[in-house]
Amino acid sequence: MIYLDNAATSFPKAPGMAEAMTKFLAEDAANPGRAGHRMAVAAEEMIDRARLQLARLVNAPMHERMVFTLNGTDALNIAIKGVVASLSEGGETPHVITTVLEHNSVSRPLQALSDAGRITLTRVDCDDAGFVDPEAIRKAITPATKLVVMTHASNVTGTIQDAAAVGRVAREAGLLFCLDAAQTIGVVPIDVQAMQVDLLAFPGHKSLLGPTGTGGLYVGERVPAASEDVAGTPARLAPFREGGTGGDSATPVQPALYPYYLEGGTPNTVGIAGLSASMDYLAQRNLADTLAHEQAQVQKVIDYVTDHDLMTLYGNTDATTRVGTVSFNIDGFDAPDLGSILDDSFEIATRPGLHCAPYAHRRLGTFPVGSVRVSPGAFTTDDEVDALLDALGQVVG
Amino acid sequence: MTATDTQAIETQATDTPEDLSRYHRQMLLPGFGEAGQRKLLGATALVVGCGALGTVIANMLARAGVGHLVIVDRDFIEMTNLQRQVLFDEDDVANAIPKAEAARAKIAKINSQVNVSAVVDDVNHTNIEWLAGVRPDGSDAADSPAGRKVDIIVDGVDNFETRYLANDCAVKHGIPYVYGGAVGTVGASYPILPHTAAPGTTGETPWEREGKATPCLRCIFEQAPPPGLNPTCDTAGVIGPAVSIVANFEVLETLKILTGNLDAVSPTMLNLDLWGNTVRQFKVARAYDISDCRCCHRRDFEFLDGKFASGTTTLCGRNAVQITQKLGDGQKLDFAEITKRLEQHGSVNGSRFMLRTDIVDNGEPYELTLFTDGRAIIKGTQKPAVAKSIYAKYVGA
Repeated sequence: MIYLDNAATSFPKAPGMAEAMTKFLAEDAANPGRAGHRMAVAAEEMIDRARLQLARLVNAPMHERMVFTLNGTDALNIAIKGVVASLSEGGETPHVITTVLEHNSVSRPLQALSDAGRITLTRVDCDDAGFVDPEAIRKAITPATKLVVMTHASNVTGTIQDAAAVGRVAREAGLLFCLDAAQTIGVVPIDVQAMQVDLLAFPGHKSLLGPTGTGGLYVGERVPAASEDVAGTPARLAPFREGGTGGDSATPVQPALYPYYLEGGTPNTVGIAGLSASMDYLAQRNLADTLAHEQAQVQKVIDYVTDHDLMTLYGNTDATTRVGTVSFNIDGFDAPDLGSILDDSFEIATRPGLHCAPYAHRRLGTFPVGSVRVSPGAFTTDDEVDALLDALGQVVG
Repeated sequence: MTATDTQAIETQATDTPEDLSRYHRQMLLPGFGEAGQRKLLGATALVVGCGALGTVIANMLARAGVGHLVIVDRDFIEMTNLQRQVLFDEDDVANAIPKAEAARAKIAKINSQVNVSAVVDDVNHTNIEWLAGVRPDGSDAADSPAGRKVDIIVDGVDNFETRYLANDCAVKHGIPYVYGGAVGTVGASYPILPHTAAPGTTGETPWEREGKATPCLRCIFEQAPPPGLNPTCDTAGVIGPAVSIVANFEVLETLKILTGNLDAVSPTMLNLDLWGNTVRQFKVARAYDISDCRCCHRRDFEFLDGKFASGTTTLCGRNAVQITQKLGDGQKLDFAEITKRLEQHGSVNGSRFMLRTDIVDNGEPYELTLFTDGRAIIKGTQKPAVAKSIYAKYVGA
């Protein structure tokens, strides 16, 4: 099988990840706790180390504000609904700005909040190449705007957005900036301070090469807990779930202390042990090399597709502005048919359809059939991409 | 759909079963009598499928006074059914009535001493035990249409996947299962009195105590044939008498079993070619001894476990359902053969990678796209049961 669906989840995973999970399960799988027995403390230390690894990767100044989540969707829900809930409590109906490129993990929570009358929503367009103009976001700001939620790279076109410019726009206007790093973390450099990101949401199982069931949310200091004493913040964050934190059990409500404030319940320790091992592996790799490797492979696909009369490429033709993701269609084949042929006759895994990004596909004119998405990963070889191009040639005939 | 979502429409018997005069002619038969008739009236039969076989079976079992019939079918009546499906008429086609429901309404007029539960649903590994009135642990499912474990399962099915499912359910729970199938001018029928204990030991069922247990379907044919291999009524045609005769053999064996005339139950598999004027009876008894049957020797119910279940996925936004099949390693569909059959319905386009044809089924247009590993995309519906029905009719499952 040739696996070209790394935008959905990376495969294979980092060398050593599975072994670390097995080892943790076999030897250390206690419920973490700060003041417990030695096994509980060991589990807590493992988690704290993973927290620190993630914080360092994105240059987060306070690693305790790096919160573990189930996946990227979970992180986005905690961020979006937490901010809106605290504003609603204050009697506000905030205005939120987002873009047409968003995954359903952003657009569905926002649309539901808008439908419920709890926010007003502006969805900013992108250009034909798949880029959102930061100035368009600036123009969408109203006196009621409190939050900008945007993807760092489209999961359809792969186009990397100018997050730093949007961060600047948001900060200048006194807004919170929530960045969905699902497609970028682990392969595109992220610096939450330089990019002025207040809420960074990401999964652990894509370019971080970790297991499914892991993810994270970095909560910047401009987003305090509901009961934290911080003045002049655009919005606070209400806890999405409440429960046991393995430490302060006396407080009647969720303690305001990060990360426990947002981590009620037993965390996915086995998954986090795996993610930590994947981060160890990533630390030995040069992220820039991985990105260049994926971009070179995507450029091959782009060149092939743009050369062919019967094929249509979506998004920019310059792969250096993309993560390792490229979407296209072939005349005469619905995307699901082509995806099935590649799987059935060539054993190549791609991802046909709408990629959970219906607004992006409407913008590209590919709704509702969608497109075929090819996403090489850190371990994809040139031969594998050549095999894809050869298969496409055979299918088109 | 889960078992508990399924609603059965009930006809309650209104007449008193004390009056047996209407059964006088069959009570005259040796081995029948009033005692036999009372057994029938106290019996519950599951009729799986209510097409050509199922209508004959339901009709005759109702007339014979089998007290409770549970009739399950996912399809709606269409004009091409009337040539052989005896309980239906043109009004049913005009009113687009589900087959199970139309059968219930007809039987209410035929014999008011019979309770009928009509279930309009796909039969699959998640619901067949419930339909047979039994929970996975063998206890009675009081909330099921039968209310308790049925006394027999009678085969009115159009595909092998469901037959093997019925066989698993029958062997697991010690329910007699009468197999029957017909297509073109040929047919076969075979009553299974299942073994419920390990080889060399004797189970508690009456037929095991009397030494009358028979090999199960998997003892004789270890695996269901792969999709697309066998002709279907919708592609190869079918002559009315073939199904009626096979169905009546099934009814005959059912009456023998329900009245306790186990001595009379046929120990052979009947095979008919009504155009070629051949009637053969295959001696299958040794199949139990010489096979190492997964189902009745090893009590490994792979079909009930869903191991071979076809999967369905509704393709978002496309009004299409994808069906996947679990073929054996390296098994591929015979495109040439399937093309020949599908051409009876219209032009078939394709390549070595896929076949595509437009089908009008019961007045509704569908587009069937078939891939070499047996998967299919059926456009024109979002309902998995409809897609499975189209697949069973035109490809053969």
